[in-house]
Amino acid sequence: MNGQKQDNRAWLGVLPVLLIVAFSAVIPLMTVVNYSVQDILDINTRLFVGFEWYRETLGDTRLQDALGRQLLFSSLVILIEIPLGILIALALPREGRVLSFLLILFAVPLLIPWNVVGTIWQIFARGDIGLLGASLEFLGISFNYASHPLHAWITLLAMDVWHWTSLVVLLAFAGLSSIAPAYYQAAELDDASRWQIFRFIEFPRLKGVLTIAVLLRLMDSLMIYTEPFVLTGGGPGNSTTFLSQYLATKAIGQFDLGPAAAFSVIYFLLVLLLCWIFYTAVVKDKGTDQ
Amino acid sequence: MAAITLDQVSFNYPGTTEPVLKNLCLHIEDGTTHALLGASGAGKTTLLNMLSGLLSPSSGALRFGDKNVSTIGARERNVALVFQFPVLYETKSVLDNLMFPLLNRGWVMKEARGRAIEVAEELELADVLHLRPAGLSLYQKQLAAIAKSLVRTDVDLVLLDEPLTAVEPAMKWRLRQRLASFQVEHGLTMIYVTHDQTEALTFASQVSLLSEGRILQTGTPEDIYNHPIDRFVGDFIGSPGMRFIPSARLHSDQPPLGLLFAEPPERDAGTLMGIRAEWLTPQRSADGIWELVSKRLVGTDGGQEKSLLGFRNGDFELLAEGLGNWCKGDRANLRVQRYALLPAEPQTAITS
Repeated sequence: MNGQKQDNRAWLGVLPVLLIVAFSAVIPLMTVVNYSVQDILDINTRLFVGFEWYRETLGDTRLQDALGRQLLFSSLVILIEIPLGILIALALPREGRVLSFLLILFAVPLLIPWNVVGTIWQIFARGDIGLLGASLEFLGISFNYASHPLHAWITLLAMDVWHWTSLVVLLAFAGLSSIAPAYYQAAELDDASRWQIFRFIEFPRLKGVLTIAVLLRLMDSLMIYTEPFVLTGGGPGNSTTFLSQYLATKAIGQFDLGPAAAFSVIYFLLVLLLCWIFYTAVVKDKGTDQ
Repeated sequence: MAAITLDQVSFNYPGTTEPVLKNLCLHIEDGTTHALLGASGAGKTTLLNMLSGLLSPSSGALRFGDKNVSTIGARERNVALVFQFPVLYETKSVLDNLMFPLLNRGWVMKEARGRAIEVAEELELADVLHLRPAGLSLYQKQLAAIAKSLVRTDVDLVLLDEPLTAVEPAMKWRLRQRLASFQVEHGLTMIYVTHDQTEALTFASQVSLLSEGRILQTGTPEDIYNHPIDRFVGDFIGSPGMRFIPSARLHSDQPPLGLLFAEPPERDAGTLMGIRAEWLTPQRSADGIWELVSKRLVGTDGGQEKSLLGFRNGDFELLAEGLGNWCKGDRANLRVQRYALLPAEPQTAITS
């Protein structure tokens, strides 16, 4: 091979991907950026307003509230689902028919369309006819997610945990399966405690898949829309209105395209920033591990 | 350290009737190295798991010294185990890895540290004590894993499960030397499980050959090599294995065999004569009875090429090491320098 002679034909191979990404992501995003700096009165009348919409959006207290709720929701979801998923994965048998059955069972929530998940929980948690709500009522606990903000939050969190913990379980189980039995044998001969086995053998091996799991849950939970929309519609009041729902209200409900576009860009940058912070923190940590 | 005794030990996995280990009897002297040699499926791993305490014998007794340990679990068994590949705690430094089993057993920090450094220095690991396993070569990793298994002073037995398999070929010899000198210096009782006969025959003072859950023969490496107990052992040990001719054939009325002896075996219908390639010298002769049918170059000796030669005479085929320029179709007689006499019938029932 002659190192000097360049063969540029390889770019042709990358071209389809570039085109797809351009059409599916770059061009729509740029359209939004374009909207965000204009005041659109009608299709023909547009005014350039610079960063006005951004200033307005950032000063919007309802948006700040929604952002606060969003961050709280994402943190709670990750704090519950990651440890719970690891615990369930640790408790699973390592082989056999029971395992296959359980893995299929765990995969089921992941396969259900999101609006159906919302509907299932909407009915499940109802105080009059829902299995969960009615059971709580029967036990003397008054439970009404439609009128009580805390109940709405509990229902939403329970729904998300039910929906997504399986993902963490499956990822963690894959990580655990890659550990050779010899490591457990050695730990037994070293008289290691169960906690030491987790701390020094299992957790280091799980780090990689857990990074993926946290990243996926972080991104998904930050963008959650369908399930709360179906379950609570953002209420009672605004108590479960997250960023995406507030955005939809602005863009479609009030048809404020300019502010909604500015909001979208900020929202996008926020998700990107949080994921980047998390990812670089983990990668840096891995770097010092060596 | 302790002497190890297997007294009529059998094992079958729950729910199966066919035992994996059948009536094993074995005594290993305190402070010696014993190799368990066998092909895969011979029961080596099961026996190893039983010695380490992961499995308990279905019947019979396993004794460390005078103590019956048959039902004592792995944690209390006082056994160290070296695996086929380096098993270390990835997030701990080599020093912390070495100290881990000691601290878990109630050693004081300072003493554990001293002991870990002492073992590391003996195994030439002192320079990498502060590194994590990821920063080590494969050889160093396995050396560290071996050090971790040797760090405890209260173990009765060190088990080695093909510890050289994962190491680069060039380093195998070095690792074996380190291990051997450590064993001698500290008088360790070691059991070395392997399918590699070169490792077994060069490392251990005693070798047991395992096949289908039985011990076929136990002896010194020389014993097993020169005096195999039956045809299976003779064929299994050595590369290539022994070739056999019924002793009775030498004295029958059939045409001469073309084998030249200083001292021929006696006529005995019940024995086989086992011959190894290096025990035969071919003598070229135009009217020789053996015909050269195969040839494989194995090296040079005094400037001449040295080959492994396959000679055929009717139904018999023998291998001989020959010097010089041999060609297929050459004829020769074979001089037998030494031979082993074995029973014609398999002796695998000896242990039961």
